[in-house]
Amino acid sequence: MSARRPRDNGAPADTKAPSDGAPPSITAGKASASAEMSSGTRRQPPPEKPSDIRRRTWVIFSFWVIVVCLGLPIWWETTTIYRANLPLSEMLDWADGKACRPVFPLRISIQANSLHEQEAQNLLRLTQHALDDLNDFSGHHLRLQLSPPATKESDNEDDAALTIRLIPGESTTSTLDPYAPILDITYPPHSIPSHTSSSSSLATYVASQLRSTFAEEQAIISYLLSSDSMPSDHRPQGLTPEAAESLSKRTTRSLKYAPTYHLTFSLFTSGPLPSSWDIEAAIGEYMKPVLDVLSPIHNFTIDTQVQLYATPGVQNHVLSKEDLSSFINAAEWPLSPSIGGAPTVNFIVFIGNQTILGNPQGHAESGDHTSQSWLIPQWGTVYLLPLPSDTAHVSAADLKQPMLTFTSHLLSLTGTPQSGSLPLRLSTLSRIRSADLLLRASSTLGSLARLAMALPSISIPRSVADGVSKTISHLRLACETLGGADGLAHARIAEAEAERAFFEKSMVGQLYFPDEHKLAVYLPLLGPIAVPLVMGLLNELKAWRKRRREKAEEGEKKKNT
Amino acid sequence: MRRLLSFLLLFVVPLFAHASDYHEQLVLRPLPLSTLLASFNFRSNISFSAFEAHNFRLFPRSLGQILQHANTHELHLRFSLGRWDAHSWGARPWDGAREGGTGVELWAWLEAETDEEANRKWRTLTNALSGLFCASLNFIDETRTTRPVMSFQPEGNHPNSTTENTHLLYGVLPHEVVCTENLTPFLKLLPCKGKVGIATLLDGHKLFDASWQSMAIDVRPRCPESGECVLEIEQTIDMVLDIDRSKRPRDNPIPRPPPGHELKCNTSKEYYSDNTCYPTDHATNQDFSLSQIFGKLMKGTCPLADPNVPPVCLEIPDSRNVYTTQGAQEKKNPDGKSRCFEIGPDTDFELVVPRAEKNEETPDVAVEEIVTPETPLLYAERSFTGHGQERGGVQTILRNPSPDTEVEFIYMETLPWFMRIYLHTIEARIEGDTGKSPSLIQETYYRPAVDRARGTQLELRMRIPPASTVFLTYDFEKSILRYTEYPPDANRGFDVAAAVITILNPDQNGTNFAVYNLRTTSLLCSLPTPDFSMPYNVIIFTSTAIALAFGGMFNILVRRFVAADEGPEMGLAARVKERIGAKFGWIAELVGKKGKGEEKTGEEKKG
Repeated sequence: MSARRPRDNGAPADTKAPSDGAPPSITAGKASASAEMSSGTRRQPPPEKPSDIRRRTWVIFSFWVIVVCLGLPIWWETTTIYRANLPLSEMLDWADGKACRPVFPLRISIQANSLHEQEAQNLLRLTQHALDDLNDFSGHHLRLQLSPPATKESDNEDDAALTIRLIPGESTTSTLDPYAPILDITYPPHSIPSHTSSSSSLATYVASQLRSTFAEEQAIISYLLSSDSMPSDHRPQGLTPEAAESLSKRTTRSLKYAPTYHLTFSLFTSGPLPSSWDIEAAIGEYMKPVLDVLSPIHNFTIDTQVQLYATPGVQNHVLSKEDLSSFINAAEWPLSPSIGGAPTVNFIVFIGNQTILGNPQGHAESGDHTSQSWLIPQWGTVYLLPLPSDTAHVSAADLKQPMLTFTSHLLSLTGTPQSGSLPLRLSTLSRIRSADLLLRASSTLGSLARLAMALPSISIPRSVADGVSKTISHLRLACETLGGADGLAHARIAEAEAERAFFEKSMVGQLYFPDEHKLAVYLPLLGPIAVPLVMGLLNELKAWRKRRREKAEEGEKKKNT
Repeated sequence: MRRLLSFLLLFVVPLFAHASDYHEQLVLRPLPLSTLLASFNFRSNISFSAFEAHNFRLFPRSLGQILQHANTHELHLRFSLGRWDAHSWGARPWDGAREGGTGVELWAWLEAETDEEANRKWRTLTNALSGLFCASLNFIDETRTTRPVMSFQPEGNHPNSTTENTHLLYGVLPHEVVCTENLTPFLKLLPCKGKVGIATLLDGHKLFDASWQSMAIDVRPRCPESGECVLEIEQTIDMVLDIDRSKRPRDNPIPRPPPGHELKCNTSKEYYSDNTCYPTDHATNQDFSLSQIFGKLMKGTCPLADPNVPPVCLEIPDSRNVYTTQGAQEKKNPDGKSRCFEIGPDTDFELVVPRAEKNEETPDVAVEEIVTPETPLLYAERSFTGHGQERGGVQTILRNPSPDTEVEFIYMETLPWFMRIYLHTIEARIEGDTGKSPSLIQETYYRPAVDRARGTQLELRMRIPPASTVFLTYDFEKSILRYTEYPPDANRGFDVAAAVITILNPDQNGTNFAVYNLRTTSLLCSLPTPDFSMPYNVIIFTSTAIALAFGGMFNILVRRFVAADEGPEMGLAARVKERIGAKFGWIAELVGKKGKGEEKTGEEKKG
């Protein structure tokens, strides 16, 4: 105490000098009111030497120089968090749908071998006109073109989404080829419009047929766009709430897009029998054709297993609709997902004669389960197969019905539209998937941008920035080639890159070093050091101002005298 | 035991391997000291073609997928708990081939082009198995992985084309506590799921209450002479149950002293009377039944299992009586030491082994109560020597009990990197022999540790002469870990994996490479452990010191010193006085007096 007291006394001595008539010394601070109270025993300190004052100024100045020029940069250098530059506004643009306007230009070629060039052109123009009138959704555009009157099928192998074959006939009919994307339209000869007429029943008919063919695709895409945060001008108006609801049901049911799916076929039985099945043959016969057709969009790997003594989660003989969700005994049944990243689709044949109780209307309406099977959204299908209790081997013929059910459920799980011929449905699927992936990647980018903005202390490694730039470039490419095969490939890469960037492991490191910790570490050091530094600077500034004022006063006095 | 096993392996397996793809058997063997060894064995096959086509029937899909994903050709996984008391229990079951050191042990042959690829696949394998078996196998990282050179040989038949690209990796987690959550996935792999057959007896309460238990999973390719190659999975559980302990009812598990009339007294003592009792060796002459020791009856047999392999065998002298439920047929084996039971598919099976009766006619001849355990080929104990936190030593005592045969074996240690061993201190000496015996260690393979990257791997080929004890010692230094490298329970110590001892076949041309395996117990190494609040203390302390020094220095440099009476009055007191004085004069007077008094004392001190 006694050792520190002189210093404590000394501190105010610099700034506070009594002002009772004493000549103003250079060291005197502001006039203290306490001076009035000071007793007569107090003496004035001798005036300070100017060299001392200068030295003190230098000392304070050099301390501050060291702190500012050396301390701060070192502190900044060592504690700064690396944040790679992200194109935040661009990312948000993508998420808001401002960067890309998803447009699916579908080219439809018209094959009219029996028509004259002039007539065909006229019909095409009228149909296009009728189509444009009907279409209220700009994102999905049907563009007609006249294919050269080729005779061979192979010549038509261009990238048209659909080919219309106009065939003269008795009346106006249309049939969709079940194996190729071809719409056959027959027309009576008199319905060909003359090149002067502005409307034609045939043109209207063709347009309405086209529209109904692509109605579902259009609805799904417009649903996808509307559920995402697209600006309202992109949104179609013609989506009724009921249609939107059924579409949302379908989209929640379908699995997330993946290039590869693992299909797991499992035979579960509650007793020891049957212990083997002819699954390979059954898959080859009933399922392989569809898998081959789907192969341009998805790859499939297949594995099968037999599990005996499997008790279902519900023991009731009659399964109500509520029981279906708990039928899978997840704790005991080895239905672990496959390793290797691709999602697993489970197809379960359960040997048992349980029946499903439910209102038949519900079934007919949703169509997702027959009386023996039901579909579990984003997971797979369960099929109850009643067999005599002494069956030791399940033959391929017994598996026919389950396999067909599984096939149709697989299409629905992959998100394939329900109407139209298979090739059309698949080409639609690829377009829907590219739109879906595009939107997904965009929204992931948006989330990443928002995360980066919301957490200023999160580190952003370079790999994230690389991923983002790759995503954006692929998104651009995908946006340009939307509707084609390249579009799907680019959207796929963009989605994968965006996911990788978002789930970068090293970005969560900040969780372990919260700001409270920093405070606890810095405060004991910085507090006691900062106080004398700051106080010294303030006092010095005060003294300097005081000196200036006094100098000015002195100068004035001199002038006056 | 070994005889029965070889009998099984030689005759049963080749005969029925084609007939059935699944086989299960429980072998019960009473051991001395009132214990019972129960060995469960489950084996199933999958043909290579079905495996390639992912059509799993008896082979578990979950494991098959992992093997395919990690390109694993042969896999051995062990979960063990407790210590095999070789001195009283004799030789180990399965000749030690189906057991691991305490904790979890995993070794596998992976197919990979390069070492890096092998490491990557190994990581995949450990992570996937970790998820499948609910064990911390994912903690088997580079520091816990070794590539043994001499100790392990593949058990399966590997085609020659793949051998060059096959890598053997070995990882061990001595700290892992094996428990029920590892048993449940183990049972899920079985075709009959623990619902019927011998697997119904497996219960976590009993299994993990055992004195020693080991769960093993072995997957290996097997190519019969004729026919297609198969991938065989063998699941084994061996447990040594304390019969007394197992017989305690579950609702009253606390042991209590038996009432006087139930005490078993040694009547041969001369002081034996009604009120004095010298308890007999509690270990002898126990009676037990399946339901007593496993807590339940065995439910039928698994219908998939090979009907020619009896599901339950009991290794007990023929002279003892054994009662079973009706419908079970007893078949005594010709060696007179074991018998097997054929059980109907749907009957609940109970087996009662009563106390051995004294023979009425010849009371002097003691009835052989149990089959005398075989003497193991080698006894091994390992312990730490030395004291302090800086250095230590490891001593392994290896004893060859055989009076006439040498034993040659490979001793393998996998040590964590923070135990830095001094290789030059490795010394093997025969007990009673003063000088060094250089011929004991025949070959050394040593791969030194790299800090934080890999552990020490030490393999020694040794030969111990008959009827002698060898002390194998070496010293090591304990390193200090980084702050974040300590586990939460750092003061408990760090587990050091068991040493693996592989006894080699004396005639090298035999097909069997290893005739016997054993593992020492794991060790608990205590490292110097810091106080974990230390970093914060250091921060606060240095900050305070720096702040004090800085403040003092800065003030000396900046402030001006004047005489005590030259400065103004005490800053704060004066100001407060003035403020208050302006309003309440009388208080100001009072305070003023006090203030002056203080000043005076201050001046005195300064003077």
